[in-house]
Amino acid sequence: MKTWLNASIHERREFCRNGALALTSLFLSEECLAFGEDGAFHARLLQAGEGELQEELGAARQWARELTRRTSAPGRLAAESVRPESGALLQEPFVVWAGSEDPGVFSPGALRSLREYLTMGGILLVDDRNPASSGAFKAGAQRELARVLPQSGVLRLPPDHVLYKTFYLLEQPVGRLRGPDWIDAIYQGKSAQVFFLSHDLLGALAREGDSWKYPMEGGGSESREQAVRFAVNIAMYVLCSDYKDDQVHAPFLMRRRHKRR
Amino acid sequence: MSWFQGLRLSADFSAPAQAGVLLLVVATCVLLGFETRGHRERRIWLFVSGAVGAIFLAGAVLRPSRLQSEGRKVPGLVVVLTDSSHRLDLPVSEGTTRSDVAARTIATLKSQWSESRVEVRKFGAALYGDDIPNDADPHRSDLLAALRGLAGFEGERPALIVALSDGRFFRPVEAAGEDWSKTLLSLAAGLPVDTVALVDETPRDRSIRRVGVTGSAIAHQPFNLALEVGCEPKESCAKVEVVVRELLEGLDPVELARGKADGSDGIAQLELQVILEQAGGRIIEVELLSDQEDDISENDKRILPIQVRRDRLRMLHVAGRPTYDVRALRMFLKSDESIDLVSFFILRTMEDQVDARPDEMALIPFPVDELFSEHLRSFDAVILQDINAREYELDRHFRSIADYVMKGGGLILVGGPTGFSSGGYAGSAVEDVLPVELPKGGEVVSTKSFVPNYTRQGMAAPMLAGLRSSMSGELPEMNGTNILGRPRAGAVVLWEHPTLEQAGVSGGDRMPVLALREVGDGRSIAISVDGTHRLRFGEAGSRSGGGAYADLWGGLLGWLMRDPRYEAAQVRLMGDCIAGRDQILRVDSIAAADVPVEVKLERLGSGKAEVTTLSASGSTKDGGRRFVAPGLIAGGYAASVKVGDAPPTRFVFSCEAGGDSWSDSRPDRERLRRIAQETGGRFVDARDVSELEPPRSTFVSASKKSQPLISAWIWATLAALSMCAHWVLRRAVGMA
Repeated sequence: MKTWLNASIHERREFCRNGALALTSLFLSEECLAFGEDGAFHARLLQAGEGELQEELGAARQWARELTRRTSAPGRLAAESVRPESGALLQEPFVVWAGSEDPGVFSPGALRSLREYLTMGGILLVDDRNPASSGAFKAGAQRELARVLPQSGVLRLPPDHVLYKTFYLLEQPVGRLRGPDWIDAIYQGKSAQVFFLSHDLLGALAREGDSWKYPMEGGGSESREQAVRFAVNIAMYVLCSDYKDDQVHAPFLMRRRHKRR
Repeated sequence: MSWFQGLRLSADFSAPAQAGVLLLVVATCVLLGFETRGHRERRIWLFVSGAVGAIFLAGAVLRPSRLQSEGRKVPGLVVVLTDSSHRLDLPVSEGTTRSDVAARTIATLKSQWSESRVEVRKFGAALYGDDIPNDADPHRSDLLAALRGLAGFEGERPALIVALSDGRFFRPVEAAGEDWSKTLLSLAAGLPVDTVALVDETPRDRSIRRVGVTGSAIAHQPFNLALEVGCEPKESCAKVEVVVRELLEGLDPVELARGKADGSDGIAQLELQVILEQAGGRIIEVELLSDQEDDISENDKRILPIQVRRDRLRMLHVAGRPTYDVRALRMFLKSDESIDLVSFFILRTMEDQVDARPDEMALIPFPVDELFSEHLRSFDAVILQDINAREYELDRHFRSIADYVMKGGGLILVGGPTGFSSGGYAGSAVEDVLPVELPKGGEVVSTKSFVPNYTRQGMAAPMLAGLRSSMSGELPEMNGTNILGRPRAGAVVLWEHPTLEQAGVSGGDRMPVLALREVGDGRSIAISVDGTHRLRFGEAGSRSGGGAYADLWGGLLGWLMRDPRYEAAQVRLMGDCIAGRDQILRVDSIAAADVPVEVKLERLGSGKAEVTTLSASGSTKDGGRRFVAPGLIAGGYAASVKVGDAPPTRFVFSCEAGGDSWSDSRPDRERLRRIAQETGGRFVDARDVSELEPPRSTFVSASKKSQPLISAWIWATLAALSMCAHWVLRRAVGMA
């Protein structure tokens, strides 16, 4: 009989995929965090306020599930939230800050912790879930992050940024909402580390039972597919940084983009 | 005139006073002459008595004395300067070397100049004492340095210097804008230098006169070797072929370049383009291919160390799947501006459901064949991180990867679910170059969390010093490990598992987690975990602001690339290595004096491993430890130096039968002739040494004494009597 230990990585991954929905988060974290899963992609949620994040946590699990199904990258199905001022923020290099209202003011401890996180090379995705309501969340997040990194300004990500080609070839950011066709970002050195989305990416990934929780604004399954692909690309950026900007890939990807157009 | 020799006047008077007294005597005589002019009678007697009285009176005042010396004649001191450079070991005829001729010449001189004192002094790079220093350059013979040493010697100045050599000095030598004769005359300080030519016939010899590197030798980049071949007779340079090889550990020599040249006037020059793929000390062999008769065959081959620099570090990073561990390593490598990084990550497997057409994806095929056949040698190091070799057909290139390491490449295997035995590496050629054995069956991974322990070697390893410091000797928890077996011979284990034992060894030691090894000319590292990213992020990482990760990987890569900062010892030769002679290696380390040091020596390019352990030979004054390599044969060598528990340091060097000093075997009689001419000495051939003349004997004074000619009272009495006689005569002739 095949055991966990002598199963192939694909068999083990399949085990995690199939079992994930049925098992509790706790159980998953015990088993799938075994050897090889420690470095898996994990979309943690930044708990800046006191609100519930159940829907976002479900979306994060779906994000990991899609990543694992579509790519060789392992994704951690046990989503969790971290408070900005806690030491847990520094445990992993990726965190998502999603919201729809002004997030309020960071405490000094949160400012210090986030500054350390970003200085160590961590990546922060700010996802405005309701930009239509005057963009209060995004504006508030930019205000607070300006306090975290006062030396760094917000820049628009160029359309040929590696984020659009880390796995899928994409033209623009896609989420549940039809937002702008660009992304604002904060750079640390040569790398973009903070991304500001106005597209409710987590909304596109949120599930209710066996179906998607929200319809896509202005599109059906094709739009949802693009949003999932964009989420996969973000995960690949987190895992591989600018790997697809390497010189060895450049001519190949340029030819392929040119052909598609 | 001889009577006056040694006469001295009283030292009571100064020279002007003595002159004044003598002047008074003369004036007295002149006055007497005038005074007695009118007295024909007894005029002579008057003058003589007066003058004699004045002279006696002056004698009483000046009291003349004679200075007497006693001593003996001593034979002249001759200093024979005999050239002791390695060039004098060149053969003159069957069984006879130039040194033998020098010894015979000295014996002849000593027997013929038995009346003289002959002192023989050796010289090479300097004037030597009784023993030639270990670190003296054996190829250099510098007559000017020898004369300078002689001039600075406190003792009797020689009367003659005789120099014995073949004339091919390092100095004096004709150089543009330099008049060596002035320097020579100044150092000889007026002494004649007789020169004796030990060789009068030019041997029939073709040799590699010069090997020069045009520009810098940089890894992966072509550089030119400028070669000069000299021929005697000159026409034998018409067709010359040279081959350049690299000498590697455990392998046969690898040909790098080959070229031909047609020379005229006894010189053939050619430039060969060479590429050395690995940085650090490399050994090349340059051989002049010859089927012609040659009196000296040893100088047809040069074996030379070349220090190959790195312009940039080229690294290949291949990962089986993207994870935070892969991310951390990539970001570390990318952050170093001196690294040219080529990465290939497997982003998709055949089982993955991408839900997209190929043209909608940014994926390219993994060019495994191209990477591991065409480009492998162009990398300084290869990192295989958690990649299944079977699935991605990497196993087809295992032999190439093992050869690459044996020839100087660096290899790191990083663990993960598809690394090591899980990935098909067990029992392969790659396993042979790893620091550890791999289990071929049974459990190949452990999913239990653990915290690795430092071994004694790990606590002493310089490449982990930064990590030990930043983490206060602690390590983060790891979520499982690949199962590894015993460490291989020569491997050093730095981290071990706290509970697991080595696979396949019952009751064995703890399982290695991080181990490294010198193998062939290369180095390899095995790290069985995929959780070192926790030193960048995570509890451990946050303690050091992520710096602990850079400390670990900076140290490991630095060791892999032979960065001296991560070596436990510094090794160097004391003097150039000459085949057949004992060679001393000096080892310096910061370890305490009682920490054991082991030095093993392996000959390069021999195609097999021949390891010799060297014996210690005491310490230098400043704490360096000496090891003797007895009578090495010509070739390239790699010394592996292990200080205590620290990982070994590798040092390569060459040992030549001839070397620089044999590269030009022609004697230079003209230079010897000119040295003799310039200093007023004589030039002869060794067989005519009896024609040289010994220096004259020198009188050496032993004592001196001053003897008065007449006692002072006699001078005074005689003066008084003369004056009395003069007075009587004056009265007799009616003078006042």
